Amino acid sequence: MAEAVAPQVFTRRASGLVRVMSPYSAFIYNILTMGVIFPWTYLWAPTAFQGSNLVLGILFAFLFELPIALSYVWLATALPRSGGDYVFQSRVFGGGFGFTVVFAFFVVWILQWVALSGWLLATLGLAPTFIGLGVTTGIDGFTSFGTWCASTNGIIIISIINALLAMVLLVTGFKNYVRFQYVMWYAILISFGIVLLLFLFTNPGSAHGKLDGFAASVDGVKGFFATAKSAAATAGVNFNPPFWLFGTLMVAPIAWTSLQWATYSVEQGGEIKNAHVFRNQLFIIVGSLATVAALLIVLALALSKGFGQDGIMVASSGYWYGVGEATIGGNVLFPNFIAMGLTGSWLIVLLIGFGFILNSFQIVCNCYIGTTRIMVAQGLDGLLPDWFARVHPKWKTPLNAHIAYFIAALPVIYGFNKIGSWTRWTLGVTFANGAVMVLSALAAALLPYRAKQLYEASPGAQYKIGGFPMVTVFGILGFLLGGFMVVSFLFVKDLGLAFSNDALPYWIVVGTAAFGLLVYLVMKSVQSSKGIKVEYAFQEIPPE
Amino acid sequence: MPLFKKRGTTRGAPTRLFYACDIHGSEPTYRKFLNAAKFYEIDTLIFGGDLMGKLLVPIVRDAGGGYRARLQGQNHHITSDAEMAQFKKVLQTLGFYWQEMDPEEYRSYEGNQGRIDELFDVLAKDRLAEWVALAEERLKGTHVRVLLCGGNDDTDQVLTALDETAQDRVVSAENRVVPIDDEHVVVTVGYSTPTPWETPRERSEEEIADVIGKVMADVPDPSRAIFNFHCPPLDSGLDTCLKLDASVWPPTPVIVNGQPIYYGAGSRSVADALTEYQPTVGIHGHIHESRGVTNYGRTLALNPGSEYGEGVLRGLIVTIRGGDVVGHQFTSG
Repeated sequence: MAEAVAPQVFTRRASGLVRVMSPYSAFIYNILTMGVIFPWTYLWAPTAFQGSNLVLGILFAFLFELPIALSYVWLATALPRSGGDYVFQSRVFGGGFGFTVVFAFFVVWILQWVALSGWLLATLGLAPTFIGLGVTTGIDGFTSFGTWCASTNGIIIISIINALLAMVLLVTGFKNYVRFQYVMWYAILISFGIVLLLFLFTNPGSAHGKLDGFAASVDGVKGFFATAKSAAATAGVNFNPPFWLFGTLMVAPIAWTSLQWATYSVEQGGEIKNAHVFRNQLFIIVGSLATVAALLIVLALALSKGFGQDGIMVASSGYWYGVGEATIGGNVLFPNFIAMGLTGSWLIVLLIGFGFILNSFQIVCNCYIGTTRIMVAQGLDGLLPDWFARVHPKWKTPLNAHIAYFIAALPVIYGFNKIGSWTRWTLGVTFANGAVMVLSALAAALLPYRAKQLYEASPGAQYKIGGFPMVTVFGILGFLLGGFMVVSFLFVKDLGLAFSNDALPYWIVVGTAAFGLLVYLVMKSVQSSKGIKVEYAFQEIPPE
Repeated sequence: MPLFKKRGTTRGAPTRLFYACDIHGSEPTYRKFLNAAKFYEIDTLIFGGDLMGKLLVPIVRDAGGGYRARLQGQNHHITSDAEMAQFKKVLQTLGFYWQEMDPEEYRSYEGNQGRIDELFDVLAKDRLAEWVALAEERLKGTHVRVLLCGGNDDTDQVLTALDETAQDRVVSAENRVVPIDDEHVVVTVGYSTPTPWETPRERSEEEIADVIGKVMADVPDPSRAIFNFHCPPLDSGLDTCLKLDASVWPPTPVIVNGQPIYYGAGSRSVADALTEYQPTVGIHGHIHESRGVTNYGRTLALNPGSEYGEGVLRGLIVTIRGGDVVGHQFTSG
């Protein structure tokens, strides 16, 4: 009688594939990309949607993103390669669609994030840090330098240096980035932890008083908080609004501008160890999403406890309504800046500032890492000149793609900071990036039907709900819930494109899509003249 | 001497090649490779080595009449014919071999690597013979031929199937010069330089240079040759992988200052041959993760990479005429 045996596989001496980025590194990468320390939710939502509940709104964003993140788990295990979203969409929808969407809405629009990361480094990292150091040490030079950092020319110069340094770090070897990422990770954890503790161990009355003292040191004003609150009320802030459910729902798209990046590690899926293992991708994508959502909620609660709802509304009015009285040294009251105002210690200021400086730098690194890998994949598919796909023989990195992206970022950095209408023209950035992720969720839903064999060989194929592939269920849910937020960016006045009451931002979105399609058609024509059909890069050959 | 004569100006239709490699036993990937001829309108299919699979899954009978097996870190309990068919289909896609056995037979293999290797060879040779027969059947009546060879991961014992099976459309190309049209020939060398994995067909740089030299002696015009060398040229960007510590099994990444080290694992002899002979094109495999393109003088060298485990056929279409590459295209079929 045969007895139960738990057999192991047999192996022989054969070569194996080894990758460089551990799942833990990829998990950290996603957390840093989501930018747990960035303040949009706390500065944008409270006054744009007065009566909204921040904690509930962040929770909605988490729940809306969850099926998208889960559908990416299936995609990432079925297609664990670099170029992520481009690979998913081109294999499921076809090359013309996949290239146009990902090139136009990711590669082109993420240039805006290169400029934004420089702005963040200057205004959220360097300026508050040096102003804080100036106040705590009494050295005026620090305060002057901090003020210069927040000036237009200062931001432009800092942004260019930021982009250049990131390019040098990344082209000289991806391992250099992975090594430096651990420094950024621990610095940011310390920074975030200190900010939380400062808010948790104070109360609104005391915090407002300390901020008065901080503002007096920087700007020489008296009674800062009371003045700022009064100006905010004049600008239209209701300090006791009733609860507003729709407004709370609209917090979700704002929080989603952070949480949507939980899937960004898929762009370098070919460099993550055991990227095809289901639990690894669950940890990397869903784990990082849950972690950041929890941290955002904790920070919202800590802000409310230590700085009060009035304080949050005042800070938000400085950002959203441009209330000058609610800024210090010309700086909006970002949570880290407020925290610096609560401490009298230069060391605490330095630790907070260091974390924010490094996370700002990390954002520009993300821009390069994700987009250059997409460009390399597109170059290898023949949809960009293969110059983009060339790997430097010594550094083993796509040097040309990095250089091209740096050069392309320069006019965007200039426009972002020098052209007053630039941010109005580019209101489509949140829509464009979100649309890529929502369409990838749809690609996941269709994976079992459009790439049947690929799906059946993937570890996620065994999971079904009522006979339906689980990825199809999550993909459809993600497409609908993500679609709700993407459509909100299109039509809700205080969220995105509708903000300017102008058709131009919509035309710019259409224009970038048309540009992507034009590049596709030109490259298709060029390759055709060489006897090559670009469609061959994506079409699955029937095995039978 | 005509001052303005361009090289490679031969008129007429170009020849279209499709190249793939490193499919490691994956059945659907091989079937796609054969169908690529019709799909991409190809004249010659060239395979660049590493036909054999790497894993063998014992499917062991249990007391209840079912079977137990382990795959991708998960235990599987197979209780019906339909489940068995689906399980084997997944194994075929992944390029794994399988053998149904009793627990006693399974235990006789445990810890006996010699017996396991023998079983690998038997199953792999059977599969390769089936593949040759399949190619003959699918390409019958067409002008398309398929050139097959081994790579460093294939054993000589298994590769004998290429010469033993009757062939019309299939050409055993290893260490040979095979004409593919009126102008061009394909030169095939399937060895690699030593690897940390101590695979069956590794050779020293000197031995590889010697093999290349001997085969090239039969090539009348090196500029009209296609180099089908499994191992990519050294430090070319087509050979980038992690440096591994071979003193442990399985080899693990070499870590310096907490970080893994990348290096070029290709062949100096192959790089020298590309530089010296300036062939029409060099097509290479071996390093799955190093898909890319580079130049050696006028010669384009390419590695399409491999993702056989997902049933994806990474490949390369090269259009040539008069000793020149007219165009090239990486594919993901």
